[in-house]
Parts: sequence; structure tokens; C-alpha cells
Amino acid sequence: MNGQVTVENLAKTYLTRQRAQAGLAGLFKSEAKQVAALKGVSLDIRPGEIFGLLGPNGAGKTTLIKCLTTLLLPTSGRALINGFELTKQDNAIRATTGCMLMGERGLYWKLTARENLVFFGALYHLNPTDRRRRANQLIEELSLGEIADRAVESYSSGQRMKVAFAKALINDAPLLILDEPTNTLDVPSAHELRAVVRRLNSQGKTVIYTTHIMAEAETLCDRVAIVDHGQVLALGTVPELKTSLQREAVLKVEGVISKKATTAVEQLPGVSRVALNMNGHATLTVVSQDSHATLLPRLIETLTAHNAVIQKIAPEEVTLEDVFIARTGRTLAVDTTVK
Amino acid sequence: MTTAGGRPSFAQTLSAALAETQLRMINITRYPGQMALEIVIPIVFAAMPMLLGRATGGEAAAANFAANTGTTNYVAYLLIGSNVFTLVSSAFWHIAYWLRFEQETGTLEAVYLTPTSTVTLASGVALYSVIRGLTSSLLAYVIGCLIFQVNPFQGDVLLALGFIAAGLIPLYGMALIFGAVVLKVKESNAVVGLMQWVVSFLMGIFFPITVLPPFVKFIAWLFPPTWMTNGVRSSLLGVGYFFGSWYADMAVLWAFMLFAPLFGFWVFNRTERGIQRNEGVGQF
Repeated sequence: MNGQVTVENLAKTYLTRQRAQAGLAGLFKSEAKQVAALKGVSLDIRPGEIFGLLGPNGAGKTTLIKCLTTLLLPTSGRALINGFELTKQDNAIRATTGCMLMGERGLYWKLTARENLVFFGALYHLNPTDRRRRANQLIEELSLGEIADRAVESYSSGQRMKVAFAKALINDAPLLILDEPTNTLDVPSAHELRAVVRRLNSQGKTVIYTTHIMAEAETLCDRVAIVDHGQVLALGTVPELKTSLQREAVLKVEGVISKKATTAVEQLPGVSRVALNMNGHATLTVVSQDSHATLLPRLIETLTAHNAVIQKIAPEEVTLEDVFIARTGRTLAVDTTVK
Repeated sequence: MTTAGGRPSFAQTLSAALAETQLRMINITRYPGQMALEIVIPIVFAAMPMLLGRATGGEAAAANFAANTGTTNYVAYLLIGSNVFTLVSSAFWHIAYWLRFEQETGTLEAVYLTPTSTVTLASGVALYSVIRGLTSSLLAYVIGCLIFQVNPFQGDVLLALGFIAAGLIPLYGMALIFGAVVLKVKESNAVVGLMQWVVSFLMGIFFPITVLPPFVKFIAWLFPPTWMTNGVRSSLLGVGYFFGSWYADMAVLWAFMLFAPLFGFWVFNRTERGIQRNEGVGQF
């Protein structure tokens, strides 16, 4: 255990109540149900790296983050964060970690950005002079000067996210945990925030960055863990993860493709994963252990036999999304919340 | 920064608590009409039984009142009751609503991410609540007395303030227990709404608790606001202490002062840990 964050077999099980049935009886009857949100997660995050947690909604990313930030007690397993043991040295973990978890919801909207930053500085035990100096510094670094003395409620969603990001930096911690920080940001603002994350990382900060945006993980993160159904399915650098798929062929088909045709493709020999994305038009991603030459005629024959209209079919260079599909059998658009 | 091991110094803890108080004070200045309304409420609240008493008692209202309470000054008696109730109500609402409101807005998780303990934050909120509650109830008492033409500064004013000060600490210990219930059931209106009326009844808001049935009277004695209300009434109006002397009643409040906050923190910490073990404090 010598990483900035070392997690061993961390598990988290919730107890929820589920309505027994619909209708009048369901109003009064409920059953206790155990939900395993994390199932023995192990990770070792090295000092000075940007570590990406990639997974669809409900994969367990936020539960993992909440455990690591001491908001939730894990059911079993152990973790060392910044050299402090989770559940035993929680205060020290909080003092040495900067977090952005709830985005804009973590701010006091009746207060100004400056008042918010100074207040959180006090909760991180900065002395009055230091908390004001640090707030001013962050306002300048993140170009918040024009809005810093207006109430947060008057900001745009993107401006609030920037203030929430500044709040995560108030204690100048060696470890930053950012949960989907570019949500609701426009493209230039997201680009600007990623540049700040890179700069902070170059200054030595370790960053845990959760996202469901493939391109963001691909361009920003040194290593990525793919999380789904409460488990780490793959872990490595982006090139390592891509290389792991090199022996498999990836073909992308665009056109009019029914679910029946997709099911038929799934049953072709050698096909390991198929994902259908119906975003405007159908895009079918097929991952196969056979070569492109072997797969292509079989694929065309099957699709046309099931009345699919093929507009484009091409071999694809392996992307992180292909790795994700190969590991999970679904695209990131799919919500996998445990119900 | 925090000292090694994450344990803050006393000065850092105090500074964090005061920052929480300051945050609440800044926040209330964004709602300028609220303080003015808070001063009106206890006056109106006391005026209702006062006018009912005059209507039913007529010329002999004061004499009839004195036969049961020990004072003819029913105006001050009722105003004291309604203003001590304002303090009780402030304590319950501010602690419970602080937790519930922050849970709903998302800031509760944000403050739980910092190394400042909830106990420190609760102390900051309690200090804000004391400042706000005391300001409005003292002003309401003086204005109410002036409106109904009685002297607000009769009797031993300093001793009355002493009873208020001694009663506030156990009161916030009790409020923390209600805060724990709010955290657990994720609902503040029904919990505080019910409890503040139960406590108002037990503390004898408009009547001496001697008129209560023996068993109910015994329960009333278990609540610090009962001793606080009677202590203030006795020092200002001379209605009579429960144990015959001010120092004996004050000693009871001191015993509450030692016990109630510790019990409140213990209940709150246990509830908090239980919630962290399951769904977390942020889920609402």
C-alpha cells in the first residue's frame, strides 16, 4: 500500500425499501432489499497521476467516491488515502483532500462566490488572512473576478460549476476528487477547466476524475478504470486498454438496423460484443475475435437477411468507447443503476 | 492548516464555528423583512389569551389570575411565556431546519467533506440561533409591555437573564436530539411542528404548570424550558420558584446544562454514523 490512494476489496451494500406492489396496498407495504453498490473494488492510484473512473450512470462510481471521501462507510474492505486509513482517520483524509462532488448544489446560493470560498476556507481551518488570500487567488486564477461579489443564485449553471471547482481547491490539497466536473459546462468552459486540471496535475496534485465522457477520459487521464455493476472491469493507461482489444476486430455499421437484426448479429460465431446506439440513426458496433475479412461477409449477409439498410460499414480504429463496449457489453448511454 | 492527524486546534474549531454563525447572519440579511415579522409574532401570540382573559374575567381578571399564578400582572406573565416559547421554537427550528434545508440544497454533503465536525457546525448554528432568538424575543417583550402599558423592567432583571442563559444550553442539547430525528426521518415540519407545541404545553406557556395533572406535571419538570420559563416569571413577577428559592431552581437548570448537551451530541453522533453506514447524509 504505497499509492496516493490504495483501495483493497472495498464493498458497499445498501439497505433500501422497495414498494411491494402497485396500487393502494403498495402505499403501505414495502420490503427491505439489499443492494450491492460496490463489490470488492481494488485500486492503486499513484501520486501525481490523473486517474479516470469511467462508467455509466449507476455503475458505482459515485458510491466509490463517496466512500473515499468519508461520506459513506464501506461495508467491508480497506483504503488508505494520502497515507490515512479510511474510517479510522477520516478527519485527516478530509483535511488533505479537495472534493467537487455535487457540482453547483454544494454552494450557498444566497452568498457570493467570495463569501462561499471564505466560508469553506474556515471549515478547512485556514486562518482568516489565509482564507481571504486563497479565495482572492482562486477568483483570479479561474477568471471569476466579474461575478465574485454577486450572489451565486444569479449565476449561470456553468459559472456555478466553476465556483464549485474553486471550492474544491480552497484547501490546496494534494489529492483532488472531481465527480463529473464538466457537467453543464459549455465546450470552451469545459476545455478551460480541463486545462486547469492539467496545470494542477503538473504542479504535483493527484486527481481522481469521474466522467462518462469517453473523449474526456481519453485526453485527460493517465490511467482509467472502467467501472460497471460495482466492479472494476478494466484498468490501465488508455493505450494499454486499447492494445488489449487489438486482437479483436471492431466494425461500425450505420443505417436502419432493427433490434432483431442486432440479436442475429450477436449470435454470429466469433462475435464477442454488440452494441446498438439509436441516437438519431442506428449505429451498430460489433466486436469480434475473427479478422475483419472473416467477419465482414457474415455481418452483411446477416444484416440484409434481417431487412437492415446499411448506409456505411467500416473497420474502426479502437477507441476507449470500443474498450468500454467490449468490457461491459453496452454503451455509456445506458443507465445501469442497480434497482 | 489542520494539525497532524487532522485534529484541529481549539482556535481553529472556534473559528469554524464562528464562520458558520457568520454565514447564517449574512444569509438572514438577504431576507430583511423576516426579523421584523419575528418580533410581531410573540406579541400577537400573547395578545390572544390576554384579550380572552379580559373578555371572560372582566374587572376581576387580574384578581382571578393572581389566585392561580401568584401575580396580577397577567400581561407580563403571558408575554414572558410567549417570548420564552419563541426561544424554544427558534432552537428547534434553526437546528432542524439547518439540517433539512442543507440536505435538500446539497450543502450538507459539502460541509461533511470538510474536517470540521458536525458538532462544531451545530454550535455555530446554535450561536446564530441564540443571537436571533434573543434579539427578537427581548424586543418583542419590551414592545409588548409598552403596547399593553406594563413596566417591562420590574423585579430582578439580571436574575431573569441568568435563567435564560442557563436554560439556553440544555435547550440546544434537546434541539440536537430533534435534529437527529430530522436527519433520520428526512422531514422537519411535522417533527418540529409537533414537538414545539408539546413543549409549549409542558413549559406552561400561558398557565402555571401546577394546574396540570400530577403525571403530566412530572413530565413537564423533565424539560429545561419549564424551569427557564418559571425562573424568568419568578425573578420578574415573583410567582414562586418550584423549589422555593432561585438558587435551587437554577441548580436544576445547571444539572440540565451538564447532561442535555452531552446526551444530545451522543444521540446525534450515533444517528449520523448510522446514516453514513447506509445511504449517506446527502440522500433526501
